[in-house]
Amino acid sequence: MAAVYKSLSKGSGSDLPKERATKNKQRVLILSSRGVTYRHRHLLNDLASMMPHCKKDAKFDAKSKLYQLCELADLYNCNNVLFFEARKGKDLYVWLSKVPNGPTVKFHLQNLHTMEELHFTGNCLKGSRPLLSFDATFETEPHLKLIKELFLHTFGVPQGARKSKPFIDHVMGFTVADGKIWIRNYQINETEKTGKEGDDADKSKPKHKGPKGDTEINLVEIGPRFVLTPIIIQEGSFGGPIIYENRQFVSPNQVRSELRRTKASRHNARAEKQVERLAKKGDLGLRTSGPRKATDELDTRKVFA
Amino acid sequence: MAKAKGRLLASLAVEKGVDYKKVVEKRKQKESRREKRKAGIAVDEKPQPAKKQKKEQKPAESEESEDSEDYEDVEDGEEDSEDEEDDYDMAELLDREAVESDEEEDEDDEDERIDLSKFEHDESSSDSEVEMEEKIERPKKGKQSDTPQLKSALKKTKKADLQESDSDEEEEDEEEEDIDMEDIDDELDDEEREDLVPYVRTTINNHTALLAALNRIGMPTGPGVPFATHQSVISSKPTTESIPDIQDDLQRELAFYAQALEAAQIGRSALLKEGVPFTRPNDYFAEMVKSDGQMEKVKAKLVEEATNKKAAAEARKQRDLKKFGKQVQVAKEQERAKAKRETLEKIKTLKKKRAEGSASALGATEADDLFDVAVDNEIKAHDKRTASAGKKRPGAPSGAPNAKRQKKDAKYGFGGKKRHAKSGDAVSSGDLSGFSVKRMKSGGKGGAKPRLGKSRRNAGGGKR
Repeated sequence: MAAVYKSLSKGSGSDLPKERATKNKQRVLILSSRGVTYRHRHLLNDLASMMPHCKKDAKFDAKSKLYQLCELADLYNCNNVLFFEARKGKDLYVWLSKVPNGPTVKFHLQNLHTMEELHFTGNCLKGSRPLLSFDATFETEPHLKLIKELFLHTFGVPQGARKSKPFIDHVMGFTVADGKIWIRNYQINETEKTGKEGDDADKSKPKHKGPKGDTEINLVEIGPRFVLTPIIIQEGSFGGPIIYENRQFVSPNQVRSELRRTKASRHNARAEKQVERLAKKGDLGLRTSGPRKATDELDTRKVFA
Repeated sequence: MAKAKGRLLASLAVEKGVDYKKVVEKRKQKESRREKRKAGIAVDEKPQPAKKQKKEQKPAESEESEDSEDYEDVEDGEEDSEDEEDDYDMAELLDREAVESDEEEDEDDEDERIDLSKFEHDESSSDSEVEMEEKIERPKKGKQSDTPQLKSALKKTKKADLQESDSDEEEEDEEEEDIDMEDIDDELDDEEREDLVPYVRTTINNHTALLAALNRIGMPTGPGVPFATHQSVISSKPTTESIPDIQDDLQRELAFYAQALEAAQIGRSALLKEGVPFTRPNDYFAEMVKSDGQMEKVKAKLVEEATNKKAAAEARKQRDLKKFGKQVQVAKEQERAKAKRETLEKIKTLKKKRAEGSASALGATEADDLFDVAVDNEIKAHDKRTASAGKKRPGAPSGAPNAKRQKKDAKYGFGGKKRHAKSGDAVSSGDLSGFSVKRMKSGGKGGAKPRLGKSRRNAGGGKR
C-alpha cells in the first residue's frame, strides 16, 4: 500500500512543473489587516483594479497568526498572497507570498500616493495586462531576483486571465534605487510621428497593419506611486526560516523614538542647567529658601548694627 | 470480537500517543464532507486534510525520535538528501512500524492517503484557473536549516542528561555553532561573563536558499519563451546610474520614465512580432481604471490650475504697467517743463534783441519786419499753451486775463455747459478706482454706528 501511495504522490509531483512551464497561471489573494487607514485602503483598491487575476477579501483579523493566510488563500484557490499589514494606524507593511511553499517577502511601504490624490491624466483599461519594466539591478543579487520573480507573479496579469482585456496599454515600472524599490505606473500613449494632428481614421490604419516605425510612444503617468523597502525574506509561506534580512532597514518605530529622544535631550539639557543655576544661587546665599551665607565679622550689617 | 478489537485499538493509541477518538471524529467529518462533495457542493478541502495528515504524523514522529536511536542515525545520514525523499522515508518507516504493531491502523491510514490523492486529482481537473503547487511537507520548521537545528536540539536534550553526571563535558563541546547566549549565561560565572563578547547577529543572506526558492517558483522568461506569457522587460542598464541624487524629484522621475519608456518600446515591438494585439482600437470601449467622474475631476483640476496661472500673469502685468505708467507721466511732465523753459528763454533773448534793434535804428527794415513776425508767432504760441488750461473768453481783448481771474476760472470752471457737470454717468459709476476694500471693511472713516435695538432706538429718538 505504501508503495502505491508513493508512486501516486511521486507521479503527481513530477507532472506539475512541466505543466507550469507551459502556462502561467496565477491568482492573487489581496487583503489587508485591520487598522489600515483610508489611504492604505485606497491603494489596495487601486492595485486590485489593475489586477484582474486577484481576489479581494475582507480585512484579516489576526496580526500574529499570518500562517492562517495560507489556508485562506487555498480556500480561494489563490497561489499568491498580497497582504497589507497596518501597524499603529500609520505604518504599512506589505507581505508578498507564494502560497503553499513560499517564499515570503516582507516590505515596508512608504511614500504612498494613491491614484485619486495624484490627479494624473493617464488612464488605462481596467484589467489590461501590464508590461512589467524591471531595473537591471534586479538581476544582480539573489534576493532581488527572488523579489522580481514575486512581482512578476503578483503584478503580472497572466495571459488569458478571466477578466483581462486583450490590449496592452500600460507599463508598470519597478526600480531599485537607494536600497528601495520604487513603483510607478504609466499609460502607453501612441502618436503618429508624421501627422501629429491627423484625424482618427487616418491614425488607426497603420496601427492595424502592423509594426511601423512611424508611431511615437510616450508615457503618461497613471498612479499610484509607492516605495517598498524589503525587510526580510522567509523561505516558507508566512513562516519558515529567514533566508534574507535587510540590515539597512530602520524600523519606523526606531526613527520615531530617535526623534523623540533628540527632542527630549534638548529639554533635559535645559532642565539640568536650571537645576545647576539654582544650586549655584543657593551656594551664594541668594535664595530665600536656601542656606544663608555665614555672616562675617566685618559684615556691614554687623558693623553698623 | 468487535469489542476486543476496540480495546486493542485504544491501548495502541495510548501507547502511540494518538488520541484515537479524535482520529475517528476526523474521519467522520471527512466522510460527511465527501458526501457534500458528491452532492455537488464545491468546497475546497485540500488544506484541511493535508494538515490533518501532518498532525497525525507529528506525534508519532516525535515519539520515534525519542525512543529509537536508529532513526536518528538514518536522518543524519540522509541530511543532505532532498526533503521529499526524507519525508517518504519517514513515511515508510512509519508504515513499517505500523505494520508490525497493527494492521488495521495501517490500512486506515492508507485509505486516507489515497483519498487525498484523489482529491488532488479532482482539483486539477476542475475548471479553476490556478494550479496549486503541491505542498512540501516540512517537519515543523523550514527546509534548509531545520535538520541542523533538530540535531542540535537533540544534542541539547542529551546534554541535559549528561549534565547531571558531569558538567565539565559541556565546556568541551565548543564545536557547537549555534549555542544561545542564554544557555551560556547560565553556565558561566560572573567573571567569565564579563569577558564574553556580546553575541551579534550576522546579516542573513542565504544565497543558496534564495536561489533554490527562485528555482522552485521561477517562471520561464528566457528568449525561447513567447514574450506574451510574461511581458516583463529588464532595462539595459541600471536606472540608478542616471539618478545622481535620489532626493532630486525631477531627475528621479525622469529616470523612472526613461526605464518604463524603454520597456514599452521593447515590449511593443516584441508583442507585435508575436502578433498579439497591442493598441486599443478607437471603437473599443470598456471600463477604465479611472472612472469618468475621476477623469472629470482631473480635468477640472487642470483647468483650474491653468486659469490660476493666467490670472496671476495678468495681475503681474497690470502691476508692472502701473509702475511704468507713473514713470512715463513723470517723464512727460519734466519734458513739458523743459520745453516751457526753453521757449521762455528764447522769447527773452528775442525781446532783448528787438529792443536793441529799435534803439539803434529807427527806420525798420524788411528784415526787421520779418523778424518781428517770428517773435509775434513765438509769443502767440506761448500764450496758446498757457491759456489751454483756462479757456479764453471769446471776444475779449487779446492777452491773458489777470492772475486772479485765471485762478478763479481754474477753480470754479469757466465757459461751457454748467448743468449736470457733477452728475454721475455710465463711466463714472463704472469707475471703481476710488474704491478700497480695506476702507470698506473697516467700516468707513468715521465708522458707522451699529444700529441699536428697537427699544433703545425709540428711547434715544424721543417722542415722535
